[in-house]
Amino acid sequence: MRHRHPRWTAIAAAVTALTLTATACGADEPADSGGPVTLTMSAWSLKTTPEFQKLAEAFQAQNPEVKVEFKEYDAANYDTQLTADLAAGSAPDLYVLKNLKNFITYQSGEQLLDVSDVAGGLGNDVNGLGNYKVDGMTYAVPYRQDSWYLYYNKDLFTAAGVTPPSETWTWAEYEKASADLAAGLKAAGSPAKAAYQHTWQSTVQGLALAQTSGADLGSGDYGYLAPYYKRALEQQKAGAQVDYGTATTNTLQYQAQFGTQQAAMMLMGSWYVATLIAQQKKGDAQAFQWGFAPAPQADAGAKAKPVTFGDPTGIGINAAIDEGKVAAAKKFLTFAAGEGAASALASIGITPATLTEPVVKAYFGVEGVPGDELSKFAFTTHDTRAENPVSPQTAALQNILLETHSAIMSESTPVDDALRQAGERARSEVLESK
Amino acid sequence: MSTTTVGGPPRTGAGRAKRGHRALRSLQGVSFVLPNFLGFGLLTLGPVVALFYISFTNWNVFGTAKWIGLDNFTRLLKDASFHTALLNTLYYSAFHIPLTLAVSLALALLLNRKLRGVAFFRTAAFFPYITSIVAIAIAWNLLFSRDAGPVNQILGLFGVDDPPGWTASSDWAMPAVIIVGVWREMGYYMLLFLAGLQTVPPELHEAARIDGANAWQRFRNVTLPCLRPTTFFVTVMLTIGSFKVFDLILVMTNGGPGQSTLVLSQYIYQKGLVENRFGYASAISVVLFALCMLVTVVQFAVNRRRNA
Repeated sequence: MRHRHPRWTAIAAAVTALTLTATACGADEPADSGGPVTLTMSAWSLKTTPEFQKLAEAFQAQNPEVKVEFKEYDAANYDTQLTADLAAGSAPDLYVLKNLKNFITYQSGEQLLDVSDVAGGLGNDVNGLGNYKVDGMTYAVPYRQDSWYLYYNKDLFTAAGVTPPSETWTWAEYEKASADLAAGLKAAGSPAKAAYQHTWQSTVQGLALAQTSGADLGSGDYGYLAPYYKRALEQQKAGAQVDYGTATTNTLQYQAQFGTQQAAMMLMGSWYVATLIAQQKKGDAQAFQWGFAPAPQADAGAKAKPVTFGDPTGIGINAAIDEGKVAAAKKFLTFAAGEGAASALASIGITPATLTEPVVKAYFGVEGVPGDELSKFAFTTHDTRAENPVSPQTAALQNILLETHSAIMSESTPVDDALRQAGERARSEVLESK
Repeated sequence: MSTTTVGGPPRTGAGRAKRGHRALRSLQGVSFVLPNFLGFGLLTLGPVVALFYISFTNWNVFGTAKWIGLDNFTRLLKDASFHTALLNTLYYSAFHIPLTLAVSLALALLLNRKLRGVAFFRTAAFFPYITSIVAIAIAWNLLFSRDAGPVNQILGLFGVDDPPGWTASSDWAMPAVIIVGVWREMGYYMLLFLAGLQTVPPELHEAARIDGANAWQRFRNVTLPCLRPTTFFVTVMLTIGSFKVFDLILVMTNGGPGQSTLVLSQYIYQKGLVENRFGYASAISVVLFALCMLVTVVQFAVNRRRNA
């Protein structure tokens, strides 16, 4: 038994080390109401997503007594990892709601603090705030509100001799321009297509839901998608855009399609503005003149605000936050949704939730952002409807519609049959079994 | 324990010391397997036991799990998407298992000879198994591209005017996935068969040859019976692997177009991690578990009868 003592000593040391590690994990900084407060906040891809750092820096400049630290998550698995942390009680004090689809999971799971008082103090300029309201109470505030635009390559339009988009473009005008572009580009010897439609379901379904009056994701009636799908199929059959099968099998990247002038037009979210500028600067995208216009509209009746879609990105407070930190967290939320944060975010090419005059000025002051009147109009004037209306059924319904999208776009199932099947599935699998 | 003594414990002092020694030795043995067992218990056994409980609840991650009895399972009976996923899983398995078995055995027989560069060919055949699944999916998707893909170009050379759309077609997506699945796993099972072939006694082949048996007869009557333990192991592993197929399909087709390649594992992922319906997802997992268990038990029973 000569080895007995060293063995037991080793075991005791290991147990002590484990215990210490465990307690260190659980240790929380005691909140001192009078002294400095440290707030933790969720984030993803900090190196390539400067918005979080920008937000924290701008806030700390005004509130030196509050420190914001980040807990970084994997961008692709953000909601899964955050959900696990919330369930385990180790999630940060503030967390970003990356999309609207999962907001209801957190809210109904009682993981979000009621921040109606913060929302009440915000002005009317905050876009997307209403999405976070459930039963009269607000559970998060938006700091950015992306919208979908029609990006267009001015050089290719000129080469094809086609008139660029306008503030009031309808889908009929879009189709006419697409045909003219296809012919004009071919005549000019350009290999570019008239448009590129990315493989996401949003590119068809988002606009259809926003622009069709009476369209309701939760109704189980998806007839409103038919004209949008028929148009998309006609476009790919005519060769005006790369077909869905080619885009999926070749894993085409929308950034490369528009950035290397493979397409003259592309519907995409406002986040792409900052990406394209950065890629042109680095040489990942070619140098060409471009701009963005409002998404084409369903009817010709001139509207004051073109209808488009997009989900806000919000911040909520963890319901399990230390009580002493709540005031500081609410202060942060008020700041994030306000003009100060909006100007800071706009200065790096992000589309913030608050769009006041100074914010617009800051956005168009960024080097590379197209300064033409049409781009300014598209940025400032739009009625942005949610792609994922807040409901416990939305995630499941969007799953069904995702499968419907691939069935239609790959021309595996005719449009009307696929939409009818989607409705039947929605009713039997989601709506009637809630 | 084969060392258990019969006829009661010895009462002498020497016997007690021996017993103590034996206990110490078994303690040492246990301590060797303990790290692995702890990991298994914590990360596999615990979650599996929890899974059975959760499948009878409506748990959605947050809050408490409400016991709903067999509701999840009765819902599965009416769930058309679950039926599609189940049929697709059976479709994939029905082709993937025999094809992989045949191709890997053929490869093993081919590479069990004294050929020049045999080590290179063995490595080449094993390579797909250790290649990143995402890279495989992207590369094969490109190969299967309807208009510009090399696969369809080759088919064109053979006079196929209307080549399939492969992963972009609901009829051909599953065959495409099966082909890639077989290609990816054949090297691994080839290695198992190669190991099995080393145990076939050369004398048997020699005797058969002297008796005038041709190559096919020697394969049927000597090689195959000697390979039975390996074939059984490979079949069981392939069956479980095919029922659980997930990553390849997720990155190659994401279950599409439509639901044409939606399999059970992906349906579990959708319901659990995308829609946060962990109770329902657990019920599907229990069905998948029962399916794997049933088929494996049948395979064991058949194998036992054959060996008897």
